[in-house]
Amino acid sequence: MSTNVVTRPQRWWDSDFVYDFRHSPVAIVATIVTVVLIAVALGADFVVPFNVNDPASANVVDARLPPGSSGMFGSNYLLGTDPQGRDMLSAVIFGLRTSLMVGGASVVLAAFVGILLGLVSGYIGGWLDALIMRIADVQLTFPAILIALLIDGISRTAMDRATHEALAIPVLVVAIAATYWVQYARTIRALVLVERDKDYVLAARVIGVSPLRILLSHICPNVLGPIVVIATINLALAILTEATLSFLGIGVPPTTPSLGSLVRIGNEFLFSGDWWISAVPGAMLVALSLAVNLLGDWLRDALNPRLSGR
Amino acid sequence: MTVLLDVAELSKRFPVGRAVGPIERLRRRLRGGGPVHLPHVHAVDDVSFVIGKGETVGLVGESGCGKSTLVRAITRLIDPTEGSIKLGMRELSLVPSRRFARDADRARIQMVFQDAGESINPRFTSFDAIADPLRRLKKLRGKALRAKVEQAAQQCGLPAELLGRFPHQLSGGQRARVGIARAVAVEPDLLVLDEPTAALDVSVQVVILQLLQRLKEQLGISYLFVSHDLSVVRLLCDRVIVMYLGKIVEVGPAREVFEHPLHPYTQALVAAVPSSDISGVERLRLLGEPMSPIDPDPNVCRFYGRCPRGVDQCKGAMPVLRRFGNREAACHFTGEKEGL
Repeated sequence: MSTNVVTRPQRWWDSDFVYDFRHSPVAIVATIVTVVLIAVALGADFVVPFNVNDPASANVVDARLPPGSSGMFGSNYLLGTDPQGRDMLSAVIFGLRTSLMVGGASVVLAAFVGILLGLVSGYIGGWLDALIMRIADVQLTFPAILIALLIDGISRTAMDRATHEALAIPVLVVAIAATYWVQYARTIRALVLVERDKDYVLAARVIGVSPLRILLSHICPNVLGPIVVIATINLALAILTEATLSFLGIGVPPTTPSLGSLVRIGNEFLFSGDWWISAVPGAMLVALSLAVNLLGDWLRDALNPRLSGR
Repeated sequence: MTVLLDVAELSKRFPVGRAVGPIERLRRRLRGGGPVHLPHVHAVDDVSFVIGKGETVGLVGESGCGKSTLVRAITRLIDPTEGSIKLGMRELSLVPSRRFARDADRARIQMVFQDAGESINPRFTSFDAIADPLRRLKKLRGKALRAKVEQAAQQCGLPAELLGRFPHQLSGGQRARVGIARAVAVEPDLLVLDEPTAALDVSVQVVILQLLQRLKEQLGISYLFVSHDLSVVRLLCDRVIVMYLGKIVEVGPAREVFEHPLHPYTQALVAAVPSSDISGVERLRLLGEPMSPIDPDPNVCRFYGRCPRGVDQCKGAMPVLRRFGNREAACHFTGEKEGL
């Protein structure tokens, strides 16, 4: 029975969302893991035992030491070393930073482009809508890796080696974003099509609000909700794509550690029994993408009104 | 009575589908053929009426009869195909709807929507919903804005404590009050009410109708009241316009129209209102569907086929609105029986 009793405004910690969160151990663990990994990546310079970006910190004599061993000069390598004598733990932390950076940047870029095109497509409609949606359809017929390979290939031929090395990360971000913008564009377009026929849009026109303002300040805030969910799930996908590309050697330059390129380095030594060089970054990749994925799944369920009150 | 709104020979036609694709159209143009004729929906067809200052006019008709299109043309959200819309001395149909959005007269015609839950942006508080038109149309800011919003809310019986709430935190009646406050805050001359009580409980409907009546008396606004609830129209309106398939079939004082309908469609409409009268008088029932509004024959009465009279004359000549005292009806046979 609903009543019209004047209640105090709802506090944010009273909301269903927070209640849901506190009662979902998976969500809590996933959040903790994600937050810790992001914090470690951001503070990499302060938490790593060795600055692997500084060639002076690597001792070639300490190459390929198993986890827990001590080096020639008394350094302790908790997770072992790689073929160049770099500390694995430090390399993985820096690799985590690169991976998160590339993944995050490509999600932001893809979301920006996708939201913009989705808004235009849904609100303006007509031939522009048809054009954007057909491009999106064509885009979906190519696997993500193929598009990334294509963009990487073009940028390699278009730029000289030094420029390409310097621009490798932006190129990678563009390549990954180019494969994921479609989801945002389609979702936003579908939502705009629903919202634009609602009476509040008409009500805004009656008071003389211009179409652009209606789109940006009336429709846009009402369609952005699901984007949070897509972006979270896409972050995990983008990180995996980055790792895949770096593993294939077309991602970050070899001098920059990323989770994918570290796995690739270790791949060469797997059959010599030096498992940790691949396994350590691999495990980190699994932990990160699993945590982000679980968080995304939970967000999708928690924010979906049809699933609430299960 | 001074005339506030004068609508004359207003028509709105919408093209349906696309007869030929863009390539075919280009080819025809290159070959030098004439423009391609597209089928059109005649949503509003040659409609004329006036609304006096301070008058409440009801607009009734079934779904799809062109009420909404007419309302959108009058509120200048769409451009009419033909005809004129005069507000006072000013001809509005010549101002394209996009330019009218920034026009000084924009505030003079406002609208209250059917479901305030849908017509208030879910992310706006009541305060924002009422303040938005004032900011935009009256350029009010700061203290003056707050004072005006509070005044409008109070006028519409909305407690000031509720101004900070979002639509989903309000009851249906409170939301309706926000919708009305938003429209009257900018002091319009004409308020178009699109079934303002249809989404409400009956008990709340009465209160909202009383509020509308009081506002009209206090502020001297003219109402165009769109509804298919005939009893509400009869209660609130001075005059009533009955529409059928894009055309006006009957106009007259509300009480008289509903007590002695002249047009067979109005008679059927009145007969369709459920009543507790079980006297056994045979009720007029409409059979079949209305004819297609796509390119209808201009010489056939729109009601032909459903009309209980329906003789050959009805498909040979379109009946025009004829005057009977203070009323008008568009039927060849009106006035025969009634002896008017």
